[in-house]
Amino acid sequence: MRLYSASSEETLRARKLLADWAEEGYITQAQHERFEQETVSNLRTTNIFLRLVLFLFTLICVGAAIGLFFVVSRPSDETAGVFLLILAAGCYAAAEATASQAHFYRYGIEEAFAVCSVAFLCVGMLVAFFSGGHYSPGPNSSELLVPAIGAMFSLWIWHRFGYSYAFIAAMVFAVFLPGYWTSSHAAQHVITAFLYLVGLICIVAARHDHRFDYLDERYSFAEALLWLGIYIAINLRLSTLVPRMYWLGFRYAASEFARPFYWTTWVLTWCLPVLILTRGTRKKDRFVIAIGAILAVLTFVTNKPYLGWQRHTWDPMMLGILLAAVALSIRRWLAGGTNGIRHGFTAARLSGRDKRWMDAGSAVLGLAAAQSVAAHSQTKSTEFRFGGGASGGGGASGSY
Amino acid sequence: MTIFARLDRWKVQGDISPEQHLYLTGLARGEPFSLFLELNILLYAGVLAFVAGIGWTVTTWSQQLGDLVIVGVLSALLAVCFWYCFSRASGWSPAETPSPNAIFDYVLYLGTLVWCIELAYLENRFHVLSGQWDFYLLATAILFFFLAYRFDNRFVLSLALSSLAGWFGLKISNWPSRQDTLYRECALLYCLLIGVGAVILQRRNLKPHFFGTYLNIVANVLFWALLSGVFNREGYGIWFLALLLACAASLAWGLTRRHFAFVAYSAVYGYVGVSAILILNIYDGTSIFAYFAITAVLMLVALVYIARRFGRSA
Repeated sequence: MRLYSASSEETLRARKLLADWAEEGYITQAQHERFEQETVSNLRTTNIFLRLVLFLFTLICVGAAIGLFFVVSRPSDETAGVFLLILAAGCYAAAEATASQAHFYRYGIEEAFAVCSVAFLCVGMLVAFFSGGHYSPGPNSSELLVPAIGAMFSLWIWHRFGYSYAFIAAMVFAVFLPGYWTSSHAAQHVITAFLYLVGLICIVAARHDHRFDYLDERYSFAEALLWLGIYIAINLRLSTLVPRMYWLGFRYAASEFARPFYWTTWVLTWCLPVLILTRGTRKKDRFVIAIGAILAVLTFVTNKPYLGWQRHTWDPMMLGILLAAVALSIRRWLAGGTNGIRHGFTAARLSGRDKRWMDAGSAVLGLAAAQSVAAHSQTKSTEFRFGGGASGGGGASGSY
Repeated sequence: MTIFARLDRWKVQGDISPEQHLYLTGLARGEPFSLFLELNILLYAGVLAFVAGIGWTVTTWSQQLGDLVIVGVLSALLAVCFWYCFSRASGWSPAETPSPNAIFDYVLYLGTLVWCIELAYLENRFHVLSGQWDFYLLATAILFFFLAYRFDNRFVLSLALSSLAGWFGLKISNWPSRQDTLYRECALLYCLLIGVGAVILQRRNLKPHFFGTYLNIVANVLFWALLSGVFNREGYGIWFLALLLACAASLAWGLTRRHFAFVAYSAVYGYVGVSAILILNIYDGTSIFAYFAITAVLMLVALVYIARRFGRSA
């Protein structure tokens, strides 16, 4: 069922671990070179930059080919839809071929083909079957098939190729499903959360046998995403943080929901992060812990809107102090253990990957933060008002 | 074969010691489980949220709190941050030096960001330099360069480079709308200054690990400036030539040094520039799509060759 054999993926995983251990000095360079010769994989990999560029140019190639077809043949809606469906099949076949015949693994090309196949399938179905005035979104619409098949096909791509973003696509498709079953916003939230919960149960059951193999990370990421999805479906006040969600139709007045439902979701927004953090900590699952922490912060941030309380300008300061205090307390507590380890956790860096992430993140975040300083560079008017720009990345906005 | 089976085999073969086997097996199982990255992100988020709160509070309550309170509090915070950094920092070394403790970097971030807020507040309220923001940016850039090299901090180095870019009149959000020649010349001058400075500093072994940060910023600013010239309707020839030279240099650098980000820059920026010239006077949809279909395939072939020949290692 999976495109790449377990032994190939295990070999790649072993090579990554060996490179990391050699960088950190856990094994000598001589050992690393010897072990590398024993862990040769038949899969063709490349680095992240070439992968991204290859992905981009494959998309351009496929997009241009479609554009050419449409410009030359000017097909009717039905013909265009059928053509897109054929193209979806072609793209999928190309993805399979490049991965299985050319042994491309996270190479960009086969990924772009797989992504195109999902997109063309959905657009093709829409154009072929629901265009020309047949479009009728709403409960009981047969158009439900588009997101449903999109979700299933994305899940298949995730399962077959192992692309985590295909799982995200499946979750996004699933968000559209409840809208075809009910017009009640509360029911839509519940159905979405239920769909994700079903997925979560399946993932938890499936990953049980893969605790320490190459699939563990994949399942871990999927589980974290599903927890995130459940939380987003449950938290009715997230739209207060992201004004853009208004345009997506996610902004509801608190009064729109029945009081028991509203307050149940409020309780759940507090319970979920605790549950997730507990599970992540017990399983030592990096993604689940990270999502638990993010959701805990979101719960703090959305609590006042939930309760109808006024936000204060110093709230972010309090949150900042809380986050820093939690981080320092955990670090201090862990450092107090034998060799800096307590209950199997340590605050010490054990992987070179962490340092690379930190270095790259520091440079990029520094640029992003300073950009807001540079925003004032061209303003020389003495009447300049300090506002709207988040000076110095500090978020100072408005005007004095 | 899982990594555990391999480790067992290497232990039996005597390729790794029993201690190594025990430790590496533990690492592969996540024992101990490192929270290093998570705790650092939490600290960084804490600093950002705190500074955002300061900015919001200062903006909203400046009338009620008064200048004295605001400037006093910000100055005190700034003084404490810099006092902490200078008192805790280990002796300066031109080589890469680790932070003296876990929170050091974050106190430095806090100090630099508070500096930005205070400076903006002072100028806005008192017009010390009569709205001459350029001088503030230059002063900020100099201070941040000093702090970055004193405390070996990439975040502050990026702040410094961005502030200097601001002094040169660059602002990313302006790029799509402002493409005049003067603007491009400023960008080129900035690239020249930063590029030459980076090379000199690297040659002198002054924090040579910063070189990559300099080079990435210079490459992107340079390519954007050249591309904006190529998109000009008149006099684009010289910019196009410069773009081709820059792409060739970036490609050569990326391949010889195995810095594949530069290969990617050269491919993407080069493709955009060449395409802009080649389809400049073509308005026929068929020709344009045919051009993209054919050239994208050619690019794919070239990139796959490069990936197979040079870019296997991650």
